[in-house]
Amino acid sequence: MRKNILILILSLSLIMGFSLAAITAPVTLQWNLGTEPPTLDPALATDTTSVDVIEQLFLGLTDYDDETMEVVPELATSWECSEDGLVWAFHLRKDVKWTDGRPVTAHDIEYAVKRTLDPATASDYAYVLYIIKGAKEVNTGEIKDLNYIGVKAIDDYTIQFALNHPAGYFPCIAGMWVTRPVPRWTIEKYGDKWTEPENIVTNGPYLLTKWAHEDEIILEKNPDYFDADNVQIERVHCVMIVEASTAMAMYEEGKLDSVGVPLDDMDRVKADPVLSKELTIAPYLCTYYYGFNNSKPPMDNPLVRKAFSAAIDRKSLIDYVTKGEQVPATTFTCPGIFGHVPPEEGIGIGYDPEAARKYLADAGYPEGKGLPEITLMFNTSEGHRKIAQAIQQMWKEVLGVEVNLTNQEWKVYLKTLSEDAPQIFRLGWCADYPDANNWLYEVFHSTDSENRIKWHNAEFDRVVEEAARESDSAKRLELYKRAEQILCEEEAGIAPIYFYTIVNLTKPYLKRTFAPMGGEHFRDWRITK
Amino acid sequence: MINFVIRRILWSIPVLLIISLVTFGLGHAIPGGPFDKEKPLPAEIIANLEAYYGLDDPLWKQYTDYLWNALHGDFGPSYSSRSRTVNDIISTHFPVSAQLGVLALIVAMVVGIPLGMISALKQNSFIDYFCMFLALLGVSVPAMTLGPLLIWFFALKLHILPVARWGTWQQAILPAVTLGIGSAALLARLTRASMLQVIREDYIRTARAKGVSEKNVTIHHALKNALIPVVTVIGPMFAALVTGSLIVEQIFAIPGCGKYFVTSITNRDYPVVLGIMLLYAVIIIAANLLVDITYSWIDPRIRYT
Amino acid sequence: MEVKLKEKEKFEDETVISERPEVNLWKDAFRRMCKNKMAVLGAIIIMVLFIIAVFAPYIAPYHYAEGSLKDNFARPGSKFLLGADFMGRDLLSRIIYGTRISLSVGIVGAVTAFLIGVFYGVVSGYYGGKVDNIMMRIVDIMYGFPTLLLIILLMVLFKSTFAIATPGTFAGFLNNIDRAFGGLFFIFIGIGVTAWLGMARISRGMALSLREKEFIEAARATGNSNLQIMLKHVLPNLIGPCIVRVTLAIPGYITFEAFLSFIGLGVNPPTPSWGMMISEGYQAMRSYPHLAIYPGLALAITMLAFNFLGDGLRDALDPRMK
Repeated sequence: MRKNILILILSLSLIMGFSLAAITAPVTLQWNLGTEPPTLDPALATDTTSVDVIEQLFLGLTDYDDETMEVVPELATSWECSEDGLVWAFHLRKDVKWTDGRPVTAHDIEYAVKRTLDPATASDYAYVLYIIKGAKEVNTGEIKDLNYIGVKAIDDYTIQFALNHPAGYFPCIAGMWVTRPVPRWTIEKYGDKWTEPENIVTNGPYLLTKWAHEDEIILEKNPDYFDADNVQIERVHCVMIVEASTAMAMYEEGKLDSVGVPLDDMDRVKADPVLSKELTIAPYLCTYYYGFNNSKPPMDNPLVRKAFSAAIDRKSLIDYVTKGEQVPATTFTCPGIFGHVPPEEGIGIGYDPEAARKYLADAGYPEGKGLPEITLMFNTSEGHRKIAQAIQQMWKEVLGVEVNLTNQEWKVYLKTLSEDAPQIFRLGWCADYPDANNWLYEVFHSTDSENRIKWHNAEFDRVVEEAARESDSAKRLELYKRAEQILCEEEAGIAPIYFYTIVNLTKPYLKRTFAPMGGEHFRDWRITK
Repeated sequence: MINFVIRRILWSIPVLLIISLVTFGLGHAIPGGPFDKEKPLPAEIIANLEAYYGLDDPLWKQYTDYLWNALHGDFGPSYSSRSRTVNDIISTHFPVSAQLGVLALIVAMVVGIPLGMISALKQNSFIDYFCMFLALLGVSVPAMTLGPLLIWFFALKLHILPVARWGTWQQAILPAVTLGIGSAALLARLTRASMLQVIREDYIRTARAKGVSEKNVTIHHALKNALIPVVTVIGPMFAALVTGSLIVEQIFAIPGCGKYFVTSITNRDYPVVLGIMLLYAVIIIAANLLVDITYSWIDPRIRYT
Repeated sequence: MEVKLKEKEKFEDETVISERPEVNLWKDAFRRMCKNKMAVLGAIIIMVLFIIAVFAPYIAPYHYAEGSLKDNFARPGSKFLLGADFMGRDLLSRIIYGTRISLSVGIVGAVTAFLIGVFYGVVSGYYGGKVDNIMMRIVDIMYGFPTLLLIILLMVLFKSTFAIATPGTFAGFLNNIDRAFGGLFFIFIGIGVTAWLGMARISRGMALSLREKEFIEAARATGNSNLQIMLKHVLPNLIGPCIVRVTLAIPGYITFEAFLSFIGLGVNPPTPSWGMMISEGYQAMRSYPHLAIYPGLALAITMLAFNFLGDGLRDALDPRMK
């Protein structure tokens, strides 16, 4: 009898213990960052991995709604701009605190913007702030005085920016990681090491509690975050699995809650009764394209460029090679960006073997006869290699042209492109902020951009310059449409190939959103087990 | 003996110097710099960064500065991850590579030596052929096929071992086996050959003739002597395992030093490339020295020159 | 008269001391090898592989670079015996053509190791003294290098500097050669840079002990030049063990190509190397195991064959060697 009671008590306590454990175990998200984030310093981040973590740690003035891509308030409660569109003021929340207890103020933002633009910081992304008055001059060392930059804390909770020209998209830029407030006192105390977990001071929805380099990052919910009540996931366990197939195996093992699907596993995932239900394909604001070196024969002839663009069967490429339900692209600016031209408008060059052959014949190379040796170059990667091989085959079939493939390691590739670009080369572009200015002007303007395709078109330059200054949205849309028409159709300076997608598997118990420009919002995600 | 060791250690100094010089030269000969980005930085910023890291100095000065700092135990900053120095990187990641190397070596020894012994004792029998076939298979299957196969079978089919990562003993099994199996095969073949040779020696025959039991002969006389050449390869083998774990680290997502090397070259992170190269060179030199010492200890007739 | 006598002596010296046992040794070795079933099997497999490599265009059902996207990832079946890859290219044909790549990597690696290594080692060991000291110090330095890392560094350098070299220059010329070889040329160089080291050490050791032997003394006394002695007396006596070593090293070179492919430093597409096929296929191991398994199998069989042959040669040529 006694024994029975003992067992009863024991088992009761066991059950209690378990249920207690179940209550106390934090709601944990298991997430793969893919690589080690090169930095957690908002001024220095350039890659999606870093931005994904920074998004959890540092708040911006504004943020994006993952669904609508609209700009929504985050640190700022409201903002307004002057009549001429040149001066913007943002009003800050008063209830935001740094993890060391100090309030987050407009001075922190002023410091952050100046720090990003300070040449000594050497921020890669400083150029997106060049729209701010004086930013470029200071960043390029022309002017040494940081106070020359058009940013000023009017009071503790109002920050003001002066711009070079009106820009409706400025609130997007104001929310980018390079303008996010950072703790001056910590940075000055610890130098480059301020982002290590023992030193870092943050203000976002999560705290950095562990950063084992190349291995894992642990984020814990920030109890002092102003909207902490609406954050359900209490801990994010980030791992850094580089191999896509290994990450996929971990997802199937249950060690990851969400994973990018490796290209080679797409067919299996689609055929699998369980996995196919967990598959989501969401847009991602990037474009994959082949650039032509417009100054190198035979690509200095628009007809040849058109022929090569028209001979690419984008749909087959997506169906058979990339497999991620990417969207065939005939224009450069991707969907979701202000200025994107919908396919119904029929702008750009689609797959048309007949026309392709005709273009090539008109250019004086019937069936490819007489063409010099043409090289297609890509940076070393399994995916690019596959796409290049498939397109090489298409050109051979449609145009009868045998194109050489070469690949180079990334840094050498960049150098080659700027010094002596081959006739055709692979590139991609991703949105920094959702406006076509970031695409057409900042990529292909003949003098103000990198202009890797070595292409000069006076009308294009004029159109994109005008669009940048124009404040009427309808007019801007028209201008960008015209620019796309020149770039991708009349001149065929590039051959757009596809618009990216995120191909993702998510466990049924996780409700997640997709951030089309990177910087996932874990705070909005829900786990119900 | 001590003189010999001291001389060898002194000799390793110029060797390391030359290795560092060659690595430094090769690294800087590769086109592209650490601050070349897809969206190029303004020239002024690059100039600033180069001044900060001393990259605007003439190459010889950069090299001598590096050596001077290295002598003081400072192997420089990492250009690609600013919050960490090369010392940080090596001190966090090298121990992992070393652990993996030790475990792989244990796998190699535990599997390879017995396999080779059994083969030798049952020479030309079916067991011998079978063991040697296994051993050859071990050398013949590349890690990038074996790794994913093991993951698929043990982690996803049988659910008895985790897929990847590092930290627990379960996580260590698959990578250690993937890495160690080739060396196990080498050890098996070496043990077999050496055992066969020893068994034919006179003193074994004498022992047998004296009536020592077969088991005793094998264990006390043959095995001890047969293992001598095996012991001498263990040092270099360990060095090879530690420095050759790159693929295994990548497949099993292990935070070791190996995969750092390739990424550092890609990033033109010269100090990290140099740091890892020198570290591995030290390991290899030490292993080679160890072999020579073991040899001299085993066979005092060897002269030191 | 004097001259004549010398010639006679020399003649005797060669026949009696070096040549006769030489002939017997090789014959003997061949006989011994034929008894070793495994070695014979290895030799046969290697011969078959060579035949496949030479006659690849006649044996392969398709061309290695041609396929239709519609057949992508086709499973093994009647159209594609071993299936097709992501571009619908026949895997069997690619494996057959790949034999050329893997064998040439193995052979070129072996030949460079052998030629450079043996020459270096013999010179160093035969002259001894200061020459030996300097030459072996160089080898020591090379030995200190982590080979893998050195080759990676070299490969990145080759692939990058030569790729942007202007045509017409020497670097541009090298790059053209590499292109013509589908990216193999730099791999050959990369392997060659370190492959000879081991060979140099072994042949040096043997040359060092040979030079003390009576028949070398005799050859020297009869007025043979150093070069003659090295070629006629030293070399033949150490060639056996060196062949064994080199045969056993071939599988290492072949896997090394696979390793380079894995880290993105391999051949240019669409050159069908097994290593490239494995590294393209291993990612798809779960969905299309045939993509990595068959090239892997081809690689394993080749390596087994060379190992069998090497073991057989060792037992036959140099039974004392471990």
